[in-house]
Amino acid sequence: MESAVVRYRIISQALFLTIFVLLFLLTNYRGFDEIRYPVRIFLEFDPLIAFTTLLAAHHLPTLMLLSLAVVGSALVLGRVFCGWVCPLGTIHHFVSWLYHRKEKDILPRSNLLGYRIKYYLLFFILASSVFTLQGVGFFDPISLLIRSMTLFVEPLVNLMVHSIFGFFYDTEIRWITALTEPIYSLLKNNFLSFRQPYFHQALFIGFLFVAILLMNFYRMRFWCFSLCPLGALLGLVSQVSLLRRWISESCTKCDICFSGCQAFARGNQDKWLRSECLVCGNCQNRCPEGAIDFGLSPSAALTKPGPNLIRRNLLVSAASGIVAVPFLRMNSRYRNPNPKLIRPPGALEEGEFLKRCLKCGECMKVCLTNGLQPTLMEAGLEGIWSPILIPRLGYCQFYCTLCGQVCPSGAIKKLTVSEKVQVRIGLAFIDKNRCLPYSQGIDCIVCEEYCPTPKKAIWFIEKRVRDRGRIVKTVKQPVVDLELCTGCGICENKCPVVDKPAIVVTSIGESRSGVNRLSLY
Amino acid sequence: MVQEPNRRTFLRTLGFSAASITLSPLVESLLPGSISPAENVPIDLAVAEGSSIPKITSAVVDLMGGIKKFVSRGDIVVIKPNMAWDRKPEQAANTNPHVVATLVSLCLDAGAKRVKVFDHSCDDPRRCYVQSGIAHAARKAGAEITFVDDRKFKEMNIGGEVLKSWKIYTEVVEADALINVPIAKHHSLAKLSMATKNWMGAVGGWRGRLHWRLNQCLADLASFFKPSLTLLDAVRILVNHGPQGGRLEDVKGTDMVIAGVDQIAVDSFGATLFGMKGSDLGYVKEGHTRGLGRMDIENLKVKRVHVPTP
Repeated sequence: MESAVVRYRIISQALFLTIFVLLFLLTNYRGFDEIRYPVRIFLEFDPLIAFTTLLAAHHLPTLMLLSLAVVGSALVLGRVFCGWVCPLGTIHHFVSWLYHRKEKDILPRSNLLGYRIKYYLLFFILASSVFTLQGVGFFDPISLLIRSMTLFVEPLVNLMVHSIFGFFYDTEIRWITALTEPIYSLLKNNFLSFRQPYFHQALFIGFLFVAILLMNFYRMRFWCFSLCPLGALLGLVSQVSLLRRWISESCTKCDICFSGCQAFARGNQDKWLRSECLVCGNCQNRCPEGAIDFGLSPSAALTKPGPNLIRRNLLVSAASGIVAVPFLRMNSRYRNPNPKLIRPPGALEEGEFLKRCLKCGECMKVCLTNGLQPTLMEAGLEGIWSPILIPRLGYCQFYCTLCGQVCPSGAIKKLTVSEKVQVRIGLAFIDKNRCLPYSQGIDCIVCEEYCPTPKKAIWFIEKRVRDRGRIVKTVKQPVVDLELCTGCGICENKCPVVDKPAIVVTSIGESRSGVNRLSLY
Repeated sequence: MVQEPNRRTFLRTLGFSAASITLSPLVESLLPGSISPAENVPIDLAVAEGSSIPKITSAVVDLMGGIKKFVSRGDIVVIKPNMAWDRKPEQAANTNPHVVATLVSLCLDAGAKRVKVFDHSCDDPRRCYVQSGIAHAARKAGAEITFVDDRKFKEMNIGGEVLKSWKIYTEVVEADALINVPIAKHHSLAKLSMATKNWMGAVGGWRGRLHWRLNQCLADLASFFKPSLTLLDAVRILVNHGPQGGRLEDVKGTDMVIAGVDQIAVDSFGATLFGMKGSDLGYVKEGHTRGLGRMDIENLKVKRVHVPTP
């Protein structure tokens, strides 16, 4: 029933979404020190990310040159990436289809007004990145999708599966568990996280993700149509593409083609918006006369049927982008380093780091201990959702280098193991008022046991103490060696004083900073 | 606490009793506890030295009477190594993988139905299992390698002096035969971590809290866990910066495996490798006093064998 173009398009969408999900699942520790197939490859094919990284950080990671392939596809075929490849686009398309499939006209309540917003957003982002603010991560579709999947979807799915199978397990009825446990271990070994992930702001990030999905009920592919800055960039590029659409003379001007158009790129020849067309093939598929045909023509590149952008709005967007830079950076952290801002090992100096971090959340996904969490205000507005280590939730595993391996922009450097063990991300301090050997004369030194440096960064002083009954005994009181401590946070994580640990890591001493150091060390 | 006889010990006792009644004149000299020619007296500790790890491992088990004495056909065996840390075998923080693998093969040869190997690691378990080399070696030998499943920690009655109850891994308790395979290494608080300390990897909860009264807690755990056999890996020992180590300067090659049924005696012998006595270790002393085992190894029958390099 569907035409060949539509069938191929659906196969392509399903294929790329599957690849994306598989790579997402493989972006995980699987028994090897190296992650071979990280999902960041999707970000490397993303020209908007390459462009803004180049503008903001004056640096382009080599692999981001792959994005030229997507630019090339847009130069020839228009926004074929949006219609055929983009995993977020496919998800939007699917949700839209679920809701709108019964309707004759899938654009009942829509108009064309909203489609320009994404161009203004793009200009806003580009202008701010010229002035070194890397804000693309909030709106880039690939970054948004990886972040939402990592911080919200994956924890949610895990929790659901665990609670369902946990319910059956707890029944302790043998024939039930004999049935459910094999399925559970199959899921656990292949698809679920090794341990249940928990993230700060999971619900907030999830709310935003669900909200943009729900907008599809209002208008098919709302995100792609109105907001996506990558779509806008590809739309601009495809203005000069070779893609052409012919309407033959058999056209009866019935306008049925209008009703199938996902992007409202318009049906008839004169008003067809090449910059909006997702090359989905629906119009061709629906035309009762078979009057629509797509093809390539060099002459098409000369005509520029693109978005009618209003120059004044473009200027305002760009100007707002420029003004946004000082606004977002109006933050007292420039006066004094934040003690809680413990960045992953290999993170660049804070200013450089923020110019590159895409907030995609991949580092948080691979973190073995779930200690990397998205920031809220710790790094200022500019740094929202960038990674921060919260030792109480998870420490930095001594020989692990995964976060640097998956970082697409080089905000976290890829380190070898021998480099990694030299990097300091903070320093541990003992709270003698709470530490049991100091305050209670009780033996403990769990921190020393766990301290991973080969020559331990926690040592102890043997102290004779007296308890209330005048019995004198010797206890070991821990001391941090600031020359050896890497700030990994395992001591804070394992401290048995659970509510407010007696040993706490703060960011001072971090290798990446010239300022946040204890001088001479 | 009175130890309930489990199925295995009950059957073994029954078997021995039946056999001794019917066949006593014939096999008396072979039975444990019987007074016969000196070489047939059951030994308390076995020590094998040599450079071939599989050979010395098999040798100590043979000295203890052979694996069939501890593992019966159809048994579900749990082997509990120390694979607590993200460290490689040469760093001597985890049990030697070849010792574990050899033991797995022996158990399977003895007809064990399943051999499970796991540990409640301290570092990320995935890395510990890989880096220790144990997961790979033991799986190759035929063991089932699983990560601990949080649902299987159940609050159990320990009835100890300090630990009244604690979360214990059910698979350890449910095993037909339990073999403890620790490594001998330094530990700042316990002084040495060997057999008794290895039970920390079979319990859940906030384990760090056991440090507050470590010696008593370890003795409590030793009263709870009754392994069929304990093998102390002293192929390499970690003499400083334990229990994790990391520096090769702190590792000493001693090419030895020690075996015994009495875990306090095994620990007491292990102490001598570090120039200490069993009585220097609080938990060994505590275990001895409570009658959980004997630290006076000078009064025990220790059999040593040197397995020459081929």
